[in-house]
Amino acid sequence: MKKILLVGLLLATSANSQSQVTYERLLSASRDPQNWLTYSGRYSGWRYSTLNQINPSSASRLTMQWAFQVSDVGQFETTPLVVDGVLYATGQNDRAFAIDARTGRAIWRYQRNLPEKLQACCGMVNRGLAILGERLFMATLDAHVIALDTKTGNLLWDVTSADYRKAYTFTVAPLAVKNELIVGISGGEYGVRGFIDAYDAATGRRLWRFETVPGPGQSGHETWAGDSWKTGGAPAWITGTYDPDLNLVYWPTGNPSPSNYGGERGGDNLYSNCMLALDADTGKLKWYFQFTPHDLYDYDATQIPILIDAVWAGRTRKLLIQANRNGFFYVLDRTDGKFLFAKAFGDVTWATGIDQDGKPVVNTSLKTSPYGTRVCPGALGLTNWYSPSYNPETGLLYVATSTECDVFTSSPQPYRAGHDFLGSVYVPDPVERPTGALKAIDALTGVEKWSFPYFSNPNGGALSTSGGVVFAGDSDGNFIVLEGRSGRDLWHVQLGAAVYSAAITFELDSKQYVVIPAGSALFAFALP
Amino acid sequence: MTIENVVLQEALAPRFGVVALISTALLGGALIGYPLAGATEKPISKDSAKSKAVVVKEGASLFRANCSPCHGLGARGGGRGPDLTSGRWTHGSTDPAIFRTITQGVPGTEMPANGFEDSEIWSIIAYLRSLAPPKRPIVSGDPVKGKRIFFESAGCSNCHMVNGRGGLLGPDLSRVAAARSISYLIDSIRQPDKELSSGMTDPNNHYGLPLVYDAVTVVTAAGERITGVARNEDTFSVQLLTANQNLQFFLKKDVKEVIHEHKSLMPPYSEDTLSARQLQDLIAYLETLRGSEEKGSKEDR
Repeated sequence: MKKILLVGLLLATSANSQSQVTYERLLSASRDPQNWLTYSGRYSGWRYSTLNQINPSSASRLTMQWAFQVSDVGQFETTPLVVDGVLYATGQNDRAFAIDARTGRAIWRYQRNLPEKLQACCGMVNRGLAILGERLFMATLDAHVIALDTKTGNLLWDVTSADYRKAYTFTVAPLAVKNELIVGISGGEYGVRGFIDAYDAATGRRLWRFETVPGPGQSGHETWAGDSWKTGGAPAWITGTYDPDLNLVYWPTGNPSPSNYGGERGGDNLYSNCMLALDADTGKLKWYFQFTPHDLYDYDATQIPILIDAVWAGRTRKLLIQANRNGFFYVLDRTDGKFLFAKAFGDVTWATGIDQDGKPVVNTSLKTSPYGTRVCPGALGLTNWYSPSYNPETGLLYVATSTECDVFTSSPQPYRAGHDFLGSVYVPDPVERPTGALKAIDALTGVEKWSFPYFSNPNGGALSTSGGVVFAGDSDGNFIVLEGRSGRDLWHVQLGAAVYSAAITFELDSKQYVVIPAGSALFAFALP
Repeated sequence: MTIENVVLQEALAPRFGVVALISTALLGGALIGYPLAGATEKPISKDSAKSKAVVVKEGASLFRANCSPCHGLGARGGGRGPDLTSGRWTHGSTDPAIFRTITQGVPGTEMPANGFEDSEIWSIIAYLRSLAPPKRPIVSGDPVKGKRIFFESAGCSNCHMVNGRGGLLGPDLSRVAAARSISYLIDSIRQPDKELSSGMTDPNNHYGLPLVYDAVTVVTAAGERITGVARNEDTFSVQLLTANQNLQFFLKKDVKEVIHEHKSLMPPYSEDTLSARQLQDLIAYLETLRGSEEKGSKEDR
């Protein structure tokens, strides 16, 4: 009897070791293209893979392998993770599931019992899980962080981060670093006071919190008039990136609240619309860079910070690049946050340029008034949270863009806990229905190399590979494979609902798969 | 209505049409703010001790944030929703009926169900009741003559359908009076390019905007020009209802060009083709078109 038990234990151990995702494994994710281990595929945020079976010669032979659907209508903003043949993803209303990546068959499903009255600005969405050890981690709409068992979906721990009744919500995919999970709060439409938290993966204990709106006595507090800091927003709702050598987490922040009325929050409103560099162990601020001070147009900086090492002005530097919602592409030195370069990557009217210190030269002829002002980009940004992709082989950043400009109005609004706190009405400029594009821009100069036009403004991001292709999805339901150097359409297929996320890729049985969420379904493609 | 609101209505009302889908999808969400004073934290009801002025102001704020994208600032009708100051309520005029319309929406129309708290709905109703009758264009025409104009002399029915009768190219007008203000209808007749109607919306694209009812010309590989309205379109294809009312589908890679004309296929009806008198008659007829309510129109009485 003892022997049998022992054999059983040994078997269990070997099975466990197969699905262990250690911190070391996350560190070397770039050498493990068979799996997709983090939100952006690797800590540097590239959303790039060295897999190359699907390439310009083969892409037209892509065939659907499986589809996975859930029972209610919504939008999948998820980025699935894939570990050793199992795919883990989330869906609307805080559901999570594990599926056999070969067949699309579910292994388990988790559905959170959410409170009835939840304020989430933009759908009951979730952007995905983090994995560490044998645990998955999810940040929920009712502002909890939870741990699930990878094999069963069983709930292992559940901690409260903030009060959902005051419209604090999570939509972000956590970032696993060392023994901790890092998450950022949502709620910039409701006057929350933003924060970034780290939790112990083993116990759920909170290890640190960085408040993105400094309180009295904290540096940066002086950038908020009166009590406006109390409802200052600066949420942090997109997954950051990490440099293990510098031990810095790069986490972008969103708009000050109320987003479109600045009359009662005089000052630059730190740390809204910033890139923050935080010590991964302590959450202490190493540096910050603010893209849009005293924002009036909802220009969250919540786009993926991409970390590249490149020769800049004659010497190799550690860089951080970001195509920002405010319409400018930025290059920063990620060791100290020094501004190096910026260039508009589409039509921008709110600022005439960026000065040598990285500050916007605000277009003073555009005054927001109660009567409406046309501003480009519009409130949804030249780009938004959907992930871009950086390909080191082409040196190009692939980023989805929108042509939408909006007419903004602005007027004061009293704060009410848990209610909208925007200070305006805005409407799309009616002259032309906005369109979009997937643009390839040089990652060091910001020069546009090509642009693939979309009929509608996008919600989907990009994935690029060593195969020389870019996978993208448009808002009209098309999954599109483009040639990475030229933007040529190699193949596309209609999936029936808008793409709200970006593709991932992995390898199983020596076969490269690519998975794209569309509507509330996942679709897997591979060569026959 | 304040002066500010009047100016805003002029500046923005024609533009609200395009935003209606988003406002539905994101009701109370990111797109629309509360520019005026917010509603109270304490529940209020019809018999609340709160002063009427305060309740009306709260209702105005809620209305502007949530309803004005379709119904227009000042509730006088936008590109998609009817004028709510006309005194005519297609789905019931009592307070409980309006309450029900707000909470449950109107099935089969673009009016969605809404998640307001009860007190908020009562304040919206109080606001709507407070609105002074607008300076409306006086409809002095004869709906019987108007119907003849619609179906015969002006040829409106060549393109527009009313209760199953008429053409296919333009929007179905069977309940146009329940959905559009008189001034909007006059503009649509005299200057159809002024504000193009919205076409189909994609319920799966929450941040997308409806298609526009503009003239689209496809230039085929052989050089043929085919004009119509796009029933749908995406990055790779366009589904055209042609001017001769046939469906024709194109892959963009197979044609030379897809041209959006940014104007309506409908010809403008100037005073030369439709006199002021005839316009009044036509409007009087259109004003009877309220969907299932049509049998109650003046014409049938």
